[in-house]
Amino acid sequence: MNDTSLSTKEQRKPLVYLVAASALVLLCGAAFAPDHLEINLGENSTWVLWDQLRLRIWSNLFVVAFFLLTIALGGTLFIALTYISGAGWHVAFRRIPESLAKALPVAGIFMLLVLGLRFQEYGWHHDWHGGPGTFWFKELWLTPWFWMIRSVAYVVVWSLLGKMLVSRSLKQDESGDTKLSDSNVGLSALFLAVYAVTFSLACVDWIMALDPLWFSTIWGVYNFSGMIQATLAVIIILGLLLRVQGRPLHGVFTDEHLHDLGRLMIGFSCFWMYIWFSQYMLIWYTNIPEETSYFIIRTHGSWGPVVVVSIILNWVIPFFVLLPQPAKRSSGIMMKVAIVVLIGRWVDLYVMIFPSTLISKPVFGIWEIASICCLVGAGTLLILRCFDAKNPVPAKDPYLKESLHYHAN
Amino acid sequence: MSEPNAPLRPPLVTGDKTLSDVTQDICEPLECRPNALWWVAFLTSLSFLLLGVVAVWYQVATGIGTWGLNKTVGWGFDITNFVFWVGIGHAGTLISAVLFLFRQKWRTAVNRSAEAMTLIAVMCAGIFPLIHMGRPWLAFWMMPYPNTRGPLWVNFKSPLLWDVFAISTYLMISAVFWYVGLVPDLATVRDRTEPGWRKRIYSILCLGWDGSARTWHRYETVYLLLAGLATPLVFSVHTIVSMDFATSVIPGWHTTIFPPYFVAGAIFSGLAMVLTLMLVARKVMTLENYITKVHVDKMCKLILAMGCIVGLAYSTEFFTALYSGNAYEQFVFMNRALGPFNWAYWTMVSCNVIAPQFFWFRSVRSCLPVVFVLTLFINVGMWFERFVIIVTSLHRDFLPSSWASYVPSWIELATFAGSFGLFFTLFLIFCRVLPVIAIAEIKGAAHLKKVPSKQASVQEKVV
Repeated sequence: MNDTSLSTKEQRKPLVYLVAASALVLLCGAAFAPDHLEINLGENSTWVLWDQLRLRIWSNLFVVAFFLLTIALGGTLFIALTYISGAGWHVAFRRIPESLAKALPVAGIFMLLVLGLRFQEYGWHHDWHGGPGTFWFKELWLTPWFWMIRSVAYVVVWSLLGKMLVSRSLKQDESGDTKLSDSNVGLSALFLAVYAVTFSLACVDWIMALDPLWFSTIWGVYNFSGMIQATLAVIIILGLLLRVQGRPLHGVFTDEHLHDLGRLMIGFSCFWMYIWFSQYMLIWYTNIPEETSYFIIRTHGSWGPVVVVSIILNWVIPFFVLLPQPAKRSSGIMMKVAIVVLIGRWVDLYVMIFPSTLISKPVFGIWEIASICCLVGAGTLLILRCFDAKNPVPAKDPYLKESLHYHAN
Repeated sequence: MSEPNAPLRPPLVTGDKTLSDVTQDICEPLECRPNALWWVAFLTSLSFLLLGVVAVWYQVATGIGTWGLNKTVGWGFDITNFVFWVGIGHAGTLISAVLFLFRQKWRTAVNRSAEAMTLIAVMCAGIFPLIHMGRPWLAFWMMPYPNTRGPLWVNFKSPLLWDVFAISTYLMISAVFWYVGLVPDLATVRDRTEPGWRKRIYSILCLGWDGSARTWHRYETVYLLLAGLATPLVFSVHTIVSMDFATSVIPGWHTTIFPPYFVAGAIFSGLAMVLTLMLVARKVMTLENYITKVHVDKMCKLILAMGCIVGLAYSTEFFTALYSGNAYEQFVFMNRALGPFNWAYWTMVSCNVIAPQFFWFRSVRSCLPVVFVLTLFINVGMWFERFVIIVTSLHRDFLPSSWASYVPSWIELATFAGSFGLFFTLFLIFCRVLPVIAIAEIKGAAHLKKVPSKQASVQEKVV
């Protein structure tokens, strides 16, 4: 508790090495490896080690960057939702979502760098004319400079609002002024209104536009559902790690909090499945050619099993495992389910992005492993840095007492 | 739960009530004769109901050619009213089940009447597809069972059939949930009633409730389980209603956001209707200490949130129509905003998106007459939403030669008025025969003044 930082330099070392090594692998791959590599096995058979390597590395970075960004944004969303609903139960561990919110600018810049890196992957980037006159809006909307300004604006606005929410909470630690809570309620309302519009548009701009002819109105809701589910998983993991003896949330993050987070996670798993099914079922049922393109690639051929895996990880496992009440109060089960959900989130993004960047079949190899290592290592380092170990509990929050004595019966 | 933060959490029951005051205040309307105001309201509703009965009798006898529909606009008032009433029926289960799971204790003041409203609204909704069949006495054909008609099975691939299952399930579970919640209160009423036929009826209805710890324990378990079971139903019913439209290939009907958008819209309209009724009920039945300004404030905030979600859904649809580049999608949305039914579209937008924005201001939320007017606007707006979706997507179809307009006939208007008559008649009867507030629940949720009993004061001395 007396340490100013959550971890020592020694503890961080393996993570730094992990990030450095995996980044080096990705960098070398992008810079030196041939785009297409196959080994001739003789007798007219070749073993293709990889194809379209540059594209594949970029797609990996895209998945990882969006994953990290939505976790950070999800932390901000969690804070805003709890303020606006007048919740008190979560105050004891609010520094966890706050640390995620503090990671927003870095995660956002990373996302923008990845987007800028291979902007040409967007089919409409150069000299694209969609066709008949009805495409005037799309041509206008996807004008490259307009698109870039919007992307930067989303990240700036989210980061600013997140920073304001967190800074008032930190200020309250010193003054104990309950007016700061009230003003955060108003700010949360503003954030939610801005978030709802900008996040829907960001998902259209960044992911849906990878396939410039396809559209689906539920897209924003679908991305929201995955985002909040993964954020809850991260909050659960961090809470469990920080409540170990000798760590800052020991005795503060209780089974009651864990229980409620578990309930929320099971709820949002179902919500994710509901939204996924709504999109799939309506497109499958009506069978309109310009809409089915998205699911034809993903459910026919080798991508099909990946979709099934995504459903198992994101809904089947969390739902059935967390259904009994004791499971939601067990550290071991909750930790495992949270990890499953995070893997599920990666698979969900993978199956959202890879087929759209025209990677023809599912691939999993050194490049995917390196990018995931990069994500886990850099993400952990980032959150460790953002978690304020000096004030791990919002000590003067008016609802802290309620949160500490809370019973999730 | 621990003691609430006194300065931050306002009390849910005002007026310094004791436990027995709560019972007395809520049971009072059941134990006295109805006043003149009730009779005026009841007879007005009843006459609307009679008007509806006459209209239904006439259209069933004559045929549904008495409606204003035509070949192009094959769905009009009937389905609009159906979806409108099903939507109204959403708030009950939301308040009872979802808010129960989220432990929103303020729900205890409104859940009973919201659930009653739900049941009545679902009944009102059910009337419309029944009449639409033309031969309602054959309605049992909707049930899948081996039969001598071929055998001729229902079409399991049709969302209209899913509707039959979804809505009947919803009605049943909501009724069970409502009844289970009523049992302890029925026992309270039984215990207060003088011996006679009323006491006998309440005794039968409360299923021999004895108030023992064991009974309470089982009761709470059942209630929690039912809340869990009812929660998916809040989503499923309107999801499936949305699929009546979204599984078609009609631009304006087929869009993937429909399921969550319809659910949000249903909750929005249901909450608005609950608030409209509660604002009247608290005044007429002098329940101001139970349905306080705090409750109204929270409901307003929920309505605001839902209104914003509905607004986001409208803009998402419009944006995607433009973005898609699909000429038909674009035409339908432009036609909604600028075509012959633009008045309906802009009524919808102003009532559903603009009106709730006033709830951003605390001063508006605490001024009850203004809240009342705004909720009325939302009720109107949500009816128009369904009208816009249904009629504007149909009336100018792919062939300009078959474009048509739609004007409801007097029969349709009378049937719609009749459904309101049914709704208010049943609601007014409910207010007279059952406790409108869950007595047992509100006692558990509110921190009431404790009157020191003789025993307690003795114990205190011992301690």
